[in-house]
Amino acid sequence: MIEYVYTIGILAGINVILASGFNLILGYGGLVSVAHPIFYAIGGYVSALLAQKLGTPIAASIIIGALISAATSVCVSLPSLRVSGDYLVIASLGFQLGLLHIINNVEITGAANGLTNIPSIVEGPHRNAIFCIVVWTAALVSVAAIRWLVSGDYGRAITAMRNDEDAFAALGRSALRIKVTLFAIGSGLAGLAGGLYAHFFLYLTPEQFGIFTSATLLTMVVVGGAATIRGPIFGAVLLTVLPEAIRFLDLPVVVMAPLQGVIFTFLIMLFLILRPQGLLGGRGGGGLEAWGRAAQGETALPREPVR
Amino acid sequence: MDLSWDIVGQLAWTGLATSTYYALFAVAFALVLKVNQVWNFGQAGMMVLGYFALYTPLRLLGWPLPLALAFALLLTIAAALAIEWFAFRILRERNSSVLTFFIFTIALSQCAIYLGELIFGADPKTLFTRLISPVFLIGPVAISHWDLQALAITACLMSALAFFLRFTKDGQFLLAVADNPELAEIYGISSSRAYAIAMTIAAILVVAGMFLVGTRAPMYPATPLNQFLVLAVVATIMAGLGNVFAAGVVAVALGLLQSFSILVISSTWQILLVYALIFITILLFPKGIVIGGGTRRISRATTTDRLAASSPAMDDRP
Repeated sequence: MIEYVYTIGILAGINVILASGFNLILGYGGLVSVAHPIFYAIGGYVSALLAQKLGTPIAASIIIGALISAATSVCVSLPSLRVSGDYLVIASLGFQLGLLHIINNVEITGAANGLTNIPSIVEGPHRNAIFCIVVWTAALVSVAAIRWLVSGDYGRAITAMRNDEDAFAALGRSALRIKVTLFAIGSGLAGLAGGLYAHFFLYLTPEQFGIFTSATLLTMVVVGGAATIRGPIFGAVLLTVLPEAIRFLDLPVVVMAPLQGVIFTFLIMLFLILRPQGLLGGRGGGGLEAWGRAAQGETALPREPVR
Repeated sequence: MDLSWDIVGQLAWTGLATSTYYALFAVAFALVLKVNQVWNFGQAGMMVLGYFALYTPLRLLGWPLPLALAFALLLTIAAALAIEWFAFRILRERNSSVLTFFIFTIALSQCAIYLGELIFGADPKTLFTRLISPVFLIGPVAISHWDLQALAITACLMSALAFFLRFTKDGQFLLAVADNPELAEIYGISSSRAYAIAMTIAAILVVAGMFLVGTRAPMYPATPLNQFLVLAVVATIMAGLGNVFAAGVVAVALGLLQSFSILVISSTWQILLVYALIFITILLFPKGIVIGGGTRRISRATTTDRLAASSPAMDDRP
């Protein structure tokens, strides 16, 4: 039983890293990307393959995986953000679906059967306990780094960009640079989470990084409270533990996965309509409404290209 | 593969027939973007609903086709109006950001996919037990009855939409609201009505498209989001935002491109072409390819003033 609790704890820690990184992109950066799981996948696969095929030390593999995720995200975001922030959503969707299709069909990643025999970062009888500490340390460091980033001088620049991009540009500051940086940091954190996941669960399959994970991450951020530090942490822990309660209903897998998907996506829609600030975002204290307020009078059509 | 005119002819014909439902989806997406000013990624959810609203009466209840079509149309239109009324209207009144609209519509599509998988299973489904369509030859090109049916349905719907937009008052109101909803309201045009009409038209096009899809090949619940919607968005961007019918033309071109790509890409990798096109479009045609000598946005003054001149009711404006 305690091993099971550790496993849930590890998954929750990994989800905290993922959701906090996604919140940096979505909540603070105001960038809509559904492709966060694919950077999670890149980190996981790169790290696993480096350790497995080239014998790279696991810690180094995880870091390289995270860096490659960040670098890839720059390649995806730069062309679309140059034109309009709104194009990022479709570019990210295409990138996610395209790369998943490749992972699903090439031999080196194990194709649809998945990648097995991934080296473990920790061995021994206390593997789960040690790994739990490692993951939560990484999660807390990630959250602290994000908190530092959004509350210092750079944080004020992000807020200024968010509240009035044109005025921000008029001051000679580059909104594009901030957006690409936030996207890269968030995606790098997803890559880190992927590496940790791969070397704990020792198995990766393309199915884990599809639209279900996109929906789950969106739920964690929106339900917890976007553009807040605590919101995604709360959302990640809540949405890691809650499905376990459904698991005890002992439903068949073909029912479980879509049922969770329906619940998560329904929660997103419900919160967007009824409580867009999320559970932990109070009045004026973050949430997607922060963007709504900033966007008073703005239509849903794309704005002029970011310069 | 040895390339001959026979093969080129067959690929062109098959590509043209397949692209009919791409065109329907693209026009539906472009129309809602133009009038409601929403990137309606929830259209994939409407596609899933439309498909299973056809599948249930046809395959599970054994209803005749006309009744099944009427049922699917009613259900999908009702869902489209509910999306507009209970979601888009509320978000619009709250001045929600583009971000909120994006997330809502994506979540809506994902919810519909999961609901489809939960109720009907994740395996591919067809609308009829057998999908064999009689084929005849014109020269070396094999033409199926499905091809002709798809072309006829698409041509009729596109002509009807063009007629509606050009010659009816409601159609003109739609264009006026697309130009400037606030100004249109001042002239007595109800933007809520225009938004509802645009969503209704999109629902009709979606059901027609899903009927064509389901009578040709099996469909997974996730296919509308993974393939059809992506292609519709690419076509809309390439056509230039606001060019509704041009989006349909670009969708046909993309269908032909996909068909001819079989000459150089194996079927396993063909889908990557669509995803690659997203980046090519964003990099090379971010403002769209100009079709017909310029974008066809109707200027605010032109549409609203023309309407004002032709409608005595609008003389009551303040």
